[in-house]
Amino acid sequence: MSIQKLILRNLRNNLKNYYLYVFALIFSVALYFAFVTLQFDPAMNEAESSVKGAAFFRTASIGLIVIVGVFLLYANHIFIKRRSKEIGLFQLIGMTRNRISCILSVENFIMYFGSTIIGTFLGFSASKFIMMILYKVTQVNETASLHFSWAALIQTLIVFTLIYVLIMFTNYLYIRKQSILSLFRVQSSTENQVKKMSVFEMVIGVVGILFIISGYYLSSKLFGGDFTSITEIFLAMVIILGLVILGTYLFYKGSVSFIMNLIRKQKGGYLNINEVLSLSSLMFRMKSNALLLTIITAVSALAIGLLSLTYITYYSAEKTAENYVSSDFALTNQDSGSQFKAALDAENIAYSERTVDVIQAELNVKDILDVQLEGLNFDPNKMTLPIVSDQDVKDVNVSPGETYLAGYANMLQNFMPLHDRGEVEIIGKESQIPLKYQGMLDEPIISSYFTNGGLPVVVVDESDFKQLQEDRNEGIQKSSSIFIGVDISNHGDIKQANEIFNDMEEKFMERSPHFASQLNTSMNQKQNMGLSMFIVGFLGLTFLITSGCILYFKQMDQGEEEKPSYTILRKLGFTRKDLLRGIKTKQLFNFGIPLVIGLLHSYFAVKSGWFLFGTELWTPMLMVMGLYTVLYSIFGLLSVQYYKKVIKEAL
Amino acid sequence: MTILQANKIHKTYGNKFNKHEVLKGLDLSIERGEFVSIMGPSGSGKTTLLNVLSSIDRVTRGTINIEDHEITAMKEKKLAEFRKHHLGFIFQEYNLLDTLTAKENILLPLSIANVSKKEATIRFDRLAKELGIYEVKDKYPNELSGGQKQRTSAVRAFIHEPSIIFADEPTGALDSKSASDLLDKLSDLNDKLSATIVMVTHDMTAASFSNRVIFIQDGQIYTQLTKGEQSRQDFYKDIMKTQGVLGGVQQ
Repeated sequence: MSIQKLILRNLRNNLKNYYLYVFALIFSVALYFAFVTLQFDPAMNEAESSVKGAAFFRTASIGLIVIVGVFLLYANHIFIKRRSKEIGLFQLIGMTRNRISCILSVENFIMYFGSTIIGTFLGFSASKFIMMILYKVTQVNETASLHFSWAALIQTLIVFTLIYVLIMFTNYLYIRKQSILSLFRVQSSTENQVKKMSVFEMVIGVVGILFIISGYYLSSKLFGGDFTSITEIFLAMVIILGLVILGTYLFYKGSVSFIMNLIRKQKGGYLNINEVLSLSSLMFRMKSNALLLTIITAVSALAIGLLSLTYITYYSAEKTAENYVSSDFALTNQDSGSQFKAALDAENIAYSERTVDVIQAELNVKDILDVQLEGLNFDPNKMTLPIVSDQDVKDVNVSPGETYLAGYANMLQNFMPLHDRGEVEIIGKESQIPLKYQGMLDEPIISSYFTNGGLPVVVVDESDFKQLQEDRNEGIQKSSSIFIGVDISNHGDIKQANEIFNDMEEKFMERSPHFASQLNTSMNQKQNMGLSMFIVGFLGLTFLITSGCILYFKQMDQGEEEKPSYTILRKLGFTRKDLLRGIKTKQLFNFGIPLVIGLLHSYFAVKSGWFLFGTELWTPMLMVMGLYTVLYSIFGLLSVQYYKKVIKEAL
Repeated sequence: MTILQANKIHKTYGNKFNKHEVLKGLDLSIERGEFVSIMGPSGSGKTTLLNVLSSIDRVTRGTINIEDHEITAMKEKKLAEFRKHHLGFIFQEYNLLDTLTAKENILLPLSIANVSKKEATIRFDRLAKELGIYEVKDKYPNELSGGQKQRTSAVRAFIHEPSIIFADEPTGALDSKSASDLLDKLSDLNDKLSATIVMVTHDMTAASFSNRVIFIQDGQIYTQLTKGEQSRQDFYKDIMKTQGVLGGVQQ
C-alpha cells in the first residue's frame, strides 16, 4: 500500500470516529471568522457610537481562541493516544519517527484545513445571521448587510495555522518520546489501579463536600452585611472561590467514590446490572479525570453565572428604568414641564401629571438600621434623604408624627437592611422632628436624581412637611426641588411621546440637565447588556460544545476500554437491552454530575450578588440554566448512541 | 441421560469467494454429570466448537440441543435468557470485571436470575469456602493471584447451578501448582454437585482430570478416550499416546 493510500484510508476512518471533532472545529472556525468579520465591518463603526462593538469583538475573539486552542490540543492528545498502537506498528515495520510524524501531519492537515475552509464559508454566511441577532438584542433598527473582509480571512487563517503548527509540534514531541514497546502499552497504562478504598480517600471525600458547602454558606453571607469593607468582601470572594474550586476537585477525586462505596457496602456484594455498569465504573473513572472535570465544571459554572447575570440585567431593564425614572417621563423644571405638556397636547396625546415638592434633609436612622456599618464611609446619624409630603403621593395618608419610606432600591436593601418599625428623626436647620417609622412602600415616587440612585424617599404628613419647609438646611438642597412626572395614559402613544421628548432634549438641557425618559433608559441598558449577553452567550456556547466534545471523546475511550467487560456480561446472559439500560444510568451520572455541580455553583454565585444587576432572579436564571442543560444533554445522548454500537460489537 | 446433543454441525467463516470451513459436520453427545475434555492441535476448531456449543457463536448448519432446548433455533434475546439460567463459563483470561470485588463478580449471575439476596449469600459462602476464596472476597481482581482469580471465576460459573459449565483453557494462564489445585476442585465439584463440565484444553495433565477426552482434528472428531476405572496416571498415559499419533502436520 502506498503512503497516499494509507493516509486516505486513515482519514476516512478518522472522519467516521471523530465527526464531532470535525463539527466542533468547523463551528469554532465559523464563529471566529464571524466575530472577526464583525470586528472589521464598517457597519460596526457606525454602531460604535452607541455600542462599543469592535473592542468587544476583539476581546471575544481572543477568549474564543483560548477556548478553541485548549480544546484542539486536548482532543488531539486523546486521539494520538488512541492511535499509539498503530504508530508502534509503523515503527515496527521500519518507518522512522520523522516519517510517521510526516504522515500524521499530512493527515491532520487535510482534515484540519478542510474543516477550516468549510468553517470560513459557513462563518461568512453565518455572520449576517449573527449580525441580525446582535441587532435584535441591542434593539438597533437596521438591516444587516455584510462585506467580505480579506483582513478577517487572513487573521482567521493565521490564527488557525498557528494552532495547527502547535498541535503538530506536540504530536512530534509525543512520538519522539515513545519507544515501540511503550506505544503498544499506552492504552492500558492510562487506567489507574483499581483497589480498595483507603481511609485517606474517605477523608478527602468528606473534606471535599465540606469545602463546597462552606463555600456556598459563605457566598450566601457575602452581601448580607457581615463583611463591611471592600477589602473584607474581596477577601471573602477569594476564599469562596478557593473553597469551591478545591472542593470540586476533591469531590471528583474522593467524594464520588466515597458515596458510591457507601452504597455498594450496603448491597453486600449483590449488585444488579445498573449498579455494575454505573456505580463500579464511575467510582474509579471520575477519580482519574478529576482535574479535567474540575476545569469543565468551574468554567461552565462561570459561563452559566455570567450569562445569568447579564440576562438578569437585560431582562430587568424595564423594571430598573421604572425605579429610576418612576414615571414615563421625569422632569425637574416647571418650564420644561409646561413645554413638554404643550407639545403632547398639540399631538393629542392623553397623559396624567404629578408634581411633587421635594426637600432634602438629614435623617437619623440609627434606630431602624439593622446593621453596623463602621467600615463604610457613612454616618447613620445623618443620612441625607429626600422628603415628600403625603399629599403629593397617591393613595397614601400619613398621620402627623409618623413616616413611611418608599422606593428603597433592592440592592441597597441588601447592604443596609432596615427594621420594620422604629424611631427616626429629621434634622432641620435649627430644630428636629421626631417621627415613628411605620414601614416600607414599594413604588418609587420620584426619579433617581432626587434619591441619589436608590435611597428611600421619606413620606411625611403635610403638617410636618410644612414645618420642615420653614426650617430647611439650604446647604444640602439640590438645584431643583420639584419633580414633574408625566404618564402617558394610552400605552400605544409612548413611542410617539418619546420622540417628542427626544426632540426637545436640547431645550430641556438649557434649563436643567436632570430629566429622563423611562423608554430611553431601558433601551440604553438593553443595548449595553445586549452586546455583553451576545458575546458571553456565544463564548458560552463554544465552551459548551468543546467541553461536551471532550466528555464525549472520553466516553468513547471508556467504551473501548470497557468492551471486554460487556463481552463478559453478555456471555453471562445479560441482553443488549439490559446493558444499554445500565449504560444509560451510567451516562446520566457521567454527564449529570458535572452538570449539576456546575449549575449549583452558578446558582450560588448568582444568588449571592444578583441584586446588583437587576430586579428579576428566577425567570432569567432558570431560562439560561434550562437552555444549557438541554444543549449539554445532547452530548450525553450521542455518547449513549456510541455505547450502543460498542455493546453490539462486544459479543 | 443426554444433556447436550449436537448433530452434524458445520461452521464456515468468510464470504462466498473465500470460505474457510472450521467445523465439518461434527456429531457429539454429552451425558449429565460428565466431565469432558476437548483436545486438538491449534487450528483444529476446538475453541470454535466450544463457542457454538455454548451459544456464543452460531453454527452455519446443524442443530444443537441442550436439555431438550434447541439453541440453534433461538433468537438472540432468548439465547441470553437461556445462558442466564443454564450455562456457566470459565475462561483462560479469567474474565472478571476489574471494577467489581471478587464477591460482586461471583454474585453477578444470581442478580440477573433474580435469586433472593439471602439465598445468594448462602450459596456464595458454601462455594467460596469450598474453593478457598472466602478470605479474599472483598478484594478487587488485580489484588488477587492468577489462581485466586481463576477460582473466583469458577465459583461464578457454579453459583447459579447451571446445567453445563464451559471452560476454555482454564489453566492456560496458571502455574502448574495453581492449575492442579483448580482442576482438583473442578472434579470435586463435578462429583459432589454432579455438574456437567465441558473443557477445552491442550494440556494433557489438565485433560487427565476429566472422565472423557474427545480429540478433534480438522473440524471432525478424530477419536475419544474414556477414563473408566483406571487411575489418573494411566489415563494420562493413554492421552499421551493418542496425542503423539495425532500431533504434528499431516504426512
